[in-house]
Amino acid sequence: MKIKVKGRIRDLLAFRRLVPERQKRFASAPVLSRGAAPINQTAKQLHPTRQNLVVSQVRQETPTTRTFRLTADSVSGTSSLAPFRAGQYLSLKLELDGSTITRPYSISSAPFEAAGADGYYEITIRKNEDGFLTPRIWENWSAGTRIVSSEPTGLFYHEPLRDGRKLVGLAGGSGIAPFCSMAKEIVLGSMDASLLLLYGSVSREDIVFCDILSGLENEAPEKIRTVHVLSSGENAEGFEQGFITADLIRKTADVENSTFFICGPQAMYDFVFKELAQLNLPQRRIRSEVYGSTVHIEQAPGYPREVVGQTFNLKVHIGGVTADITAAAGESLLVAMERAGLAPPSSCRSGECGWCHSRLVSGEVYVHPERDGRRAADKKYGWIHPCSSYPLTDLEISVPRSDR
Amino acid sequence: MLGSTAAKHFGFNYIKLPERRPAAQSRPELAQSPGTFLLLLPFHGGLFKEKTMTEAVNQLIKREVETVVIGAGNGGLTAAVKMAAMGKEVLLLEQHNLPGGFATSFRRGRFEFEASLHQIADIGPSSNRGSVREFFEDELGVFLDWAEVPEGFRLIITDPEQELDVTMPYGVDAFIEALEREVPGSREPVTRYLNLCRELLEGIAYVGKSRGQPDKKLLLTKYASLLNTAPYTVDEVADALNVPERARHILHAQWSYLGPPTSRASFTIYGAMLYKFLLYGAVIPRHTSHEISLALDARLRELGGSVLYNTQVEKILVRDGHVEGVVTSRGDQIRTNHVIANVSPTLVYNHLFDPAKEVPPEALQECNARVDGVSAFVVYMGLDAPPDELGLKEYSYFVYRSMDTTAGYESFSTLDTPKMQAVVCINNAVPDCSPPGTSIVTITSLFQPETWNIPPDQYVSTKNRIAEGLIRDLEEATGTRLREHIEEFAVATPQTFARYTGAHNGIIYGYEPEPWDSLLPRMMMMDEDQHVQGLQFCGGSAFRCHGYSSSYLSGQIAALLTLRDIREEGGLRS
Repeated sequence: MKIKVKGRIRDLLAFRRLVPERQKRFASAPVLSRGAAPINQTAKQLHPTRQNLVVSQVRQETPTTRTFRLTADSVSGTSSLAPFRAGQYLSLKLELDGSTITRPYSISSAPFEAAGADGYYEITIRKNEDGFLTPRIWENWSAGTRIVSSEPTGLFYHEPLRDGRKLVGLAGGSGIAPFCSMAKEIVLGSMDASLLLLYGSVSREDIVFCDILSGLENEAPEKIRTVHVLSSGENAEGFEQGFITADLIRKTADVENSTFFICGPQAMYDFVFKELAQLNLPQRRIRSEVYGSTVHIEQAPGYPREVVGQTFNLKVHIGGVTADITAAAGESLLVAMERAGLAPPSSCRSGECGWCHSRLVSGEVYVHPERDGRRAADKKYGWIHPCSSYPLTDLEISVPRSDR
Repeated sequence: MLGSTAAKHFGFNYIKLPERRPAAQSRPELAQSPGTFLLLLPFHGGLFKEKTMTEAVNQLIKREVETVVIGAGNGGLTAAVKMAAMGKEVLLLEQHNLPGGFATSFRRGRFEFEASLHQIADIGPSSNRGSVREFFEDELGVFLDWAEVPEGFRLIITDPEQELDVTMPYGVDAFIEALEREVPGSREPVTRYLNLCRELLEGIAYVGKSRGQPDKKLLLTKYASLLNTAPYTVDEVADALNVPERARHILHAQWSYLGPPTSRASFTIYGAMLYKFLLYGAVIPRHTSHEISLALDARLRELGGSVLYNTQVEKILVRDGHVEGVVTSRGDQIRTNHVIANVSPTLVYNHLFDPAKEVPPEALQECNARVDGVSAFVVYMGLDAPPDELGLKEYSYFVYRSMDTTAGYESFSTLDTPKMQAVVCINNAVPDCSPPGTSIVTITSLFQPETWNIPPDQYVSTKNRIAEGLIRDLEEATGTRLREHIEEFAVATPQTFARYTGAHNGIIYGYEPEPWDSLLPRMMMMDEDQHVQGLQFCGGSAFRCHGYSSSYLSGQIAALLTLRDIREEGGLRS
C-alpha cells in the first residue's frame, strides 16, 4: 500500500526538510546555561537527605523523660528545617564508641513550629536506665550539642482523604509524642481533624505533656480530649484505671466513625490489638506506628528456637570494605553491622522504610512476618532489610554505603 | 564529529554499528560474587590498625574503569548489562538505593504499589516476541515472568458533546471491528490508518536490523510510509486519511502516554506505539517493574559488571572535548574515558560538566531548542474491596474531560484538577497483586513540572486537593465508590519523582517528540548530536524517545555506540 499524506513529492520534500529544520532550530536557540531546576530544589527542601541540627533547649518533662529542642545548625550548612506532617519521626545518626548508629524519634512539636527562621523540632525521650543509648543522651546532650538527622519521615500521620476527620489516638508511655504534635497542630496549626486521646501511663508522675494536653483541651474542647489511663492501681479522680480496653474505647469513642492511631511500646500493641479486634473495625481504620526493633525475636511466630544462643559469621561487603564480623542469633543484621562500626544505612529500624535495602549473597535469615517490608521481587532476587532480618546461618551480604 | 565512520545515505548519516555477537545464555539466578571493584582497593596489611572500620567503609573510592554508566534507570540498566554481555568492564552508579529509576515499587501496609508502569508494548508472547523481549532474552540473557493485560483499554470521555464510553480490545482485527461497531463507517479509513502504522513499524524494525546500513531503494519503496509520514503530526495523518472524528478519539486515546497533544506529537512515535500494542498486546511484570529492575541488576553482576547504590555522580570530568572521569557527590574519583548517561542532556550539560567551560555551546543550544517533556502526578490507592465489588472490570482506563488534547495539555500548566487521567487496576492483570478482598487502583495525570514550584507550606494541601479532584472525576466517570475503601494512600508529584530518580525537574518523559525532533531526525543526526568524545546518552531523552520499551532499547544503542568508541579510541587511555 502506498500512502501519501500530502502528496508523494511533498511528503518526500518534507521528509528531507526534517534534518535541516532541526539543525536550524538548534542553531537559532540561545547559548544559555540554565540555573538550578526549581523542582529538584524544592524536592531537596521538602526531603533533604541530611539535616544538621543543634540542641537549643532541654526540658525535663517527667522524672524519666526529657524533651530536646532542635534547631537548624546553619554553621554546619542547614539553614531551615524541612516541613513535616504531625506524627512523623526523625532518624538521628549517633556516634557511640566508634560506632555509627541510628535511632528514630517521633517529633513531639507541631509542624507549624518548624516553619520559618526560628523553626524547631522537639523530640521527647524516656530514659531507660538499663539501656545502651538513653543514659548517654542524658549525660551528653545539652544546649549546643550538634546532631545529624534525616528528613522528617514515616507514614504515621493523618491523611484526610483516607482517614476522615475524627481520630482516636491510643498512646502508651513516650508513644504520646506524635499525638502531642497532632494535638498542637489541630488547635494551633492547620490540621483539620478532632482527636480523642486514650493515653496509658503507669502512674500520674509518668504522664508526659499533661499540662500541654489539658491546655489544648481547654482551648478547643470540641477538637481535643484526653482520657488518662493509669495502670499502677493509683486511685485518682478523673483518671481511668487499668489499660486501654475495648470497653473503655466503646465508652469514650465514636467507634463507627473514627480512625484509630496507635503508638506505644511493644507490650501495649500486644494488648491493644486484641482489644481492637473485639470492635470489628476494618483494617483501613487502624493505623499503627512502627516502633523500632523487636525486643525478643525468639518469641516471634515461626522463629526457630534451636538457634537461640548461637553466633554466626557475617561477611559484609560495604563501601570499599569486605568485613568479617559476627552476628548473634536474636539480633538483627543491622545491629551486628553497627556494632562492628560499619555505619550501614538505616532509618525506621522496623522493616518498613527500605532505607537499609541490601542483598543477601548467601545464607539464611529469619524475617519477622509483621515487619517484613520487602517487595515481592526482593524476595525472589534475594534482597533483605537488615533491620528486620535475623541470622539463621553464616551469611554474606552486600550493603550500600549510607548516603547520610 | 564522527562522520568519518558513518555510512552516508542520501543526505543523512547512519552510524555503522558493530557486529552483533551472540549473548551468553544464562539462568536468571543470583550472582554469587561480590562486586569485583571492591578487591581493587588498597586495603591490605595494617590499614585497619590505623583507621577505624567506619573510616574504612567511608573511604573514598578511587578506581579506573573502561565504561561508567550513570543512573540505573531502564536505559542505564540495559546499557550496563549490554556492555557486560559484550565482555566489557562496566561500573553502574546509582544515586538511589534501588535500581530502576521510575521502574520501581513501594510498600504501604499490606500493599505493594507499582510506581510508574501502566503497560509495556513490544514484549509479546513467546510465540510472537516483540523487539524488547528479543533484546532481553537474546542479547541480555534476561528472562521474566510477564502477565498479559487482558483488554486493551476503556476510554471514557465525559464532555457531553463528545460523550463516549467504550472498551477496546488489542489485536488489529478485533480493534477495527470494535471501532466499526462504535463508529459505523470507520472501518475503511481506520484500516488504512492502521496499515500505515504497520508499515512504519516495519520500517523502523528494518532500519534497526540493518545495523545502520539500510538499502536506500528499499526505504524509498517498501518502507516509503516511514519516510512519507515522518514530517507529520498525529492529527495531520488522521486528517489526510479522513478518519471520522469519533473514531479518531478512540485511535488517539493513548496520547497521554507521549505527552504532547496530537496537534504536535509525531505520528511516527504514536503510530508505532499504537500498533505495537495492537500487534503484541500489553504486559506487566508479575511482581511490578521492580522485578525487571532487580533482574537486570542481578544479570549485570552475573556478567561481571559492578553497581554502586547510594552513589550520585556530581561531575563528569571533561578535557579538550574528551571524557576523563566522574566524581561522586561524596568525592569518589573514577577515571574513565567512556560514560553512558541515563540522564537528560539538559541536566548533564547544565549541571554535571566539569569544568563548565567544556560544555560545547551547541549542546546548550540543543537543550534550549528542544521541548522538555512533562512530569506526572500519581495517586496510589490500596482499597479494601475487590475490583468486581468496585465495578472495575478493566485493567486500563483513560478518563478524559474531552479529546481536545490541546486543552488537556494546557490543563497540565495549572494547579486545577487535570482534564485527563490514565487509570490502572492492577488486579485485573495480576489478580493476586494484593491480598484477597482488596485491590490496587492507580490514577496518573500529567503536569508541567514548574507548575509545582510552590511554597513548601502549600505542598501537602495542593497534593491532597488535586488527588481528591482526580478521585472524584474517576468515581463520576465509572460510577464506582473509591473514597470509602481507601486503606492505603500515597501521592507522587513532580517533586517525588525528582527526589527518587534525580530526574531534571522530575520530568518523567524525554524531550517531546514533535516531527522535527522525532525518531528519524534524531537518528539521522545521531553523530551531530554527540558533542563530546566518550559521552553517550540513554533513557527517555535519547534518540528512541520515551516510554518503557524505548528506554530499554535505548541502552542497546548507547552500548553499541560506546563499543564503537572503544574500538576507535581504545578503552581507558593512560
